[in-house]
Amino acid sequence: MLLPLGQMMDWASKRSVIRMNGEKFRRFVKAPPRNYSVVVMFTALQPQRQCGVCKQADEEYQILANSWRYSSAFTNKIFFASVDFDEGSDIFHMLNMNSAPTFMHFPSKGKPKRADTYELQVRGFAAEQISRWIADRTDINVRVIRPPNYAGPLMLGFLLAVVGSLVYLRRNNLEFLYNKNAWAFAALCFVLIMTSGQMWNHIRGPPYAHKNPNTGQVSYIHGSSQAQFVAETHIVLLFNSAVTFGMVLLHEAATSDMDIGKRKIMCIAGIGLVVLFFSWLLSIFRAKYHGYPYSFLMN
Amino acid sequence: MELICLGHFVLSHNPEVWILGELMLNCSWGGVGGDSIHRIHPALECHSLVVSLSSFLLRFNYRSTHHLTSNGFYEFLNWFDERAWYPLGRIVGGTVYPGLMVTAGLIHYVLNLLHMTVHIRDVCVFLAPIFSGLTAISTFLLTRELWNQGAGLLAACFIAIVPGYISRSVAGSFDNEGIAIFALQFTYYLWVKSVKTGSVFWTIGCCLSYFYMVSAWGGYVFIINLIPLHVFVLLLMQRYSRRVYIAYSTFYIVGLVLSMQIPFVGFQPIRTSEHMAAAGVFALLQAYAFLQYLKDRLTKQEFQTLFFLGVSLAAGVVFLTVIYLTYTGKFSLSLMRYLCPPPRYAKIHIPIIASVSEHQPTTWVSFFFDLHILVCTFPAGLWFCIKNINDERVFVALYAISAVYFAGVMVRLMLTLTPVVCMLSAIAFSSVFEHYLGDDQKKDKEGLGPNIKSIVTMLMLMLLMMFAVHCTWVTSNAYSSPSVVLASYNHDGSRNILDDFREAYYWLRQNTDEHARVMSWWDYGYQIAGMANRTTLVDNNTWNNSHIALVGKAMSSNESAAYQIMQSLDVDYVLIIFGGVIGYSGDDINKFLWMVRIAEGEHPKDIRESDYFTPQGEFRVDKAGSPTLLNCLMYKMSYYRFGEMQLDFRTPPGFDRTRNAEIGNKDIKFKHLEEAFTSEHWLVRIYKVKNEGSSRTSSFLRKARS
Repeated sequence: MLLPLGQMMDWASKRSVIRMNGEKFRRFVKAPPRNYSVVVMFTALQPQRQCGVCKQADEEYQILANSWRYSSAFTNKIFFASVDFDEGSDIFHMLNMNSAPTFMHFPSKGKPKRADTYELQVRGFAAEQISRWIADRTDINVRVIRPPNYAGPLMLGFLLAVVGSLVYLRRNNLEFLYNKNAWAFAALCFVLIMTSGQMWNHIRGPPYAHKNPNTGQVSYIHGSSQAQFVAETHIVLLFNSAVTFGMVLLHEAATSDMDIGKRKIMCIAGIGLVVLFFSWLLSIFRAKYHGYPYSFLMN
Repeated sequence: MELICLGHFVLSHNPEVWILGELMLNCSWGGVGGDSIHRIHPALECHSLVVSLSSFLLRFNYRSTHHLTSNGFYEFLNWFDERAWYPLGRIVGGTVYPGLMVTAGLIHYVLNLLHMTVHIRDVCVFLAPIFSGLTAISTFLLTRELWNQGAGLLAACFIAIVPGYISRSVAGSFDNEGIAIFALQFTYYLWVKSVKTGSVFWTIGCCLSYFYMVSAWGGYVFIINLIPLHVFVLLLMQRYSRRVYIAYSTFYIVGLVLSMQIPFVGFQPIRTSEHMAAAGVFALLQAYAFLQYLKDRLTKQEFQTLFFLGVSLAAGVVFLTVIYLTYTGKFSLSLMRYLCPPPRYAKIHIPIIASVSEHQPTTWVSFFFDLHILVCTFPAGLWFCIKNINDERVFVALYAISAVYFAGVMVRLMLTLTPVVCMLSAIAFSSVFEHYLGDDQKKDKEGLGPNIKSIVTMLMLMLLMMFAVHCTWVTSNAYSSPSVVLASYNHDGSRNILDDFREAYYWLRQNTDEHARVMSWWDYGYQIAGMANRTTLVDNNTWNNSHIALVGKAMSSNESAAYQIMQSLDVDYVLIIFGGVIGYSGDDINKFLWMVRIAEGEHPKDIRESDYFTPQGEFRVDKAGSPTLLNCLMYKMSYYRFGEMQLDFRTPPGFDRTRNAEIGNKDIKFKHLEEAFTSEHWLVRIYKVKNEGSSRTSSFLRKARS
């Protein structure tokens, strides 16, 4: 019969996260004396429990335990275990636990204190956060190493291969690279996307629009000037491109070689676009920036 | 074409204090075939002028310039400031960009040599408006090189009044950006000129201007990456020519040597990854030129084999060198932090960077606010540039695309976008006006008719007038008041000036010992050093994160733990900002979480952010707040005696107007501190640290002095 420590090490060498049922838990985690501490995840992974968070937390926990197992600072002072509700429900009753997942740290000496329960609501279940909590409680630093994600470079390589093969196939007819209109259009798209605030959307992740729960009215424009909705940026993008298009039309009307009637129409359309969409833009700006006193054609 | 001049300033009620707003006036009179005379006339009235240098950062610049003019240039370069970052001190000479101070010092020296006695403070205050005039001139020159004279004039007018640039160049804003944008535009003008002419004269001029830019602002990295990008794209577009070769080779070498003369830059241009693009393009250009040379002298077969051999060899060598240098650590691959949105990287790793509000991404409202109609019309200018492409228009297209990306990521970089937006919209407007303003009697094809043309012209002019009016409004409302003095408006519209900051700093100056050390959060460091003239522990330079974390830890711990830290740092006074009486939302309690986060980064065992929240995860200052928060030093210092104060009859005593809550801990007593000063509206509170028991008579400096 191996000593408890030896038995734990044996299990840990097989799997990073030791799966425990009620009896194992009582013998190896609860029973004193121990010269190791255990971090236990109480979870409910069976499909009928429908605990989505448990699955995500389980993945992070696995990453954490694997990082520990393969790290150079591996000692036998700490072990990672998990108890599933369906295998050890008596433990759940004993510890008065009614939510899952829960992470608890059982120190080698003494009873677990309040800080030995991980605050999942406040900190989240990212492996790095759990590792910091463990470092807080035990002075053991687990360096979280995530398995390298090859999806990104693979996609990039694939994309380059596709582009390369297309260029090779058309190598006698590379005229499309010299098309000024295409380049100008691409540059314009990029610029318009940037000035409508898409980077802010990318970083802050706002909702598309806001539906007022009381009145049911959908507002596409955020009330304050500190934030914006995705719908709002699309509107601004449209307006900006309309004004730009109007200016280009004006120029084309004056310099192109088409007949006079068409040119007059282009000219009027151009100036109309510029003035109309700019006034609209100004009115949206007024709606957001309270106290702005100017408007052009409309309020 | 006569263009409209514009100037604006705002006077305060108090005749002794001037709050100068936007200042730049740029008149250009362009006659038919005449020269354009640029006159700068600020319309100042003759009151006695005391302009407070607004904003925290500028006090330091002014103090350094003062040091320069009093002690000489070499003293300035070797200056070790022991009154900042106590007890570490700060090597100022090696950690600042000296361009600003040297420019102000030089102007002061020249004026005094001509027996025009001007105080250095006045030079500092008016430096930015003068340089914005020079910026307008260089923008004119640059746009004239790119398009034509009419567009140049329009661009100069736009940049003279556009709010995006005014915000950093008001009178009183003595900061690097004021002169840096001028240096940027001038360098770009000289670069475009040298690419067009291919003469070494213009290129050396460009290098000298680049040297000035390197001495002025950290944003020189933008130039040293944009110019190589331009050359690279020219190579890709098969627009290689002798002119490009001469211009870039000369620029790279001479510019490199000159940029390394600044002590702060040092050896960075050959070590860090931000400068590697320039070196790479230089090598590539040499290789390309060599291949062109060989092409003329070899047959096609020989050339092809040689080409393939050469390219593979070169690629292999470069690859191995980069790997070797990265492996041995001589090379820091930090380029990704410029391309990826900085805030996400910074939020996780460097809380100090993430906490600055100017480093947030930009909403479309900021774009519109700072640029108004220019932001809608500059894509049209970009379209025209690309459709009629030549060497220099490639440059401006690249400038626009890169600047717009960076401006979208960080609000602060809107400043680098402003010049190119002005130029491109000037091009757009100019192309339209060119065809709609003139007479079409000489044209062979039928014109659009004078009616339509005049309607179009009138509407365009109305839009431009709206732009001018918007700029005036923005500058007077948003960028006009120095942030040292707060202004609030009463119900009847009259303005109420809150001068608490200056009151407190002058109290400090007059009522404390000259060598007293003041602990406060880093935002106020430069102000305390400048206006109160006392030694500070941390300031806006934020170069030492652990020292700031120590201050943060002292503010977030309970009184006894904080007292130990304060004793170890020899602190005499503690200064905090409290906005609960007037509802000021920029006070230290609102910044408190950043103090906790920064402290937690260095001392994770002692400070935990979660301790300061309620079990439900809320940050509350009332009775339901977390006990750690209610007993920490910052809380006690902010709300000492506040529990007895009843602001009006509708709210209970101790009602914090900023947090809209009644405070939880009203009976506050101190063991190791005593209240020294509270300003009129309780904005600034200063506490004295009692030194009981152990003799703290000798600090490092006193020992050193004896």
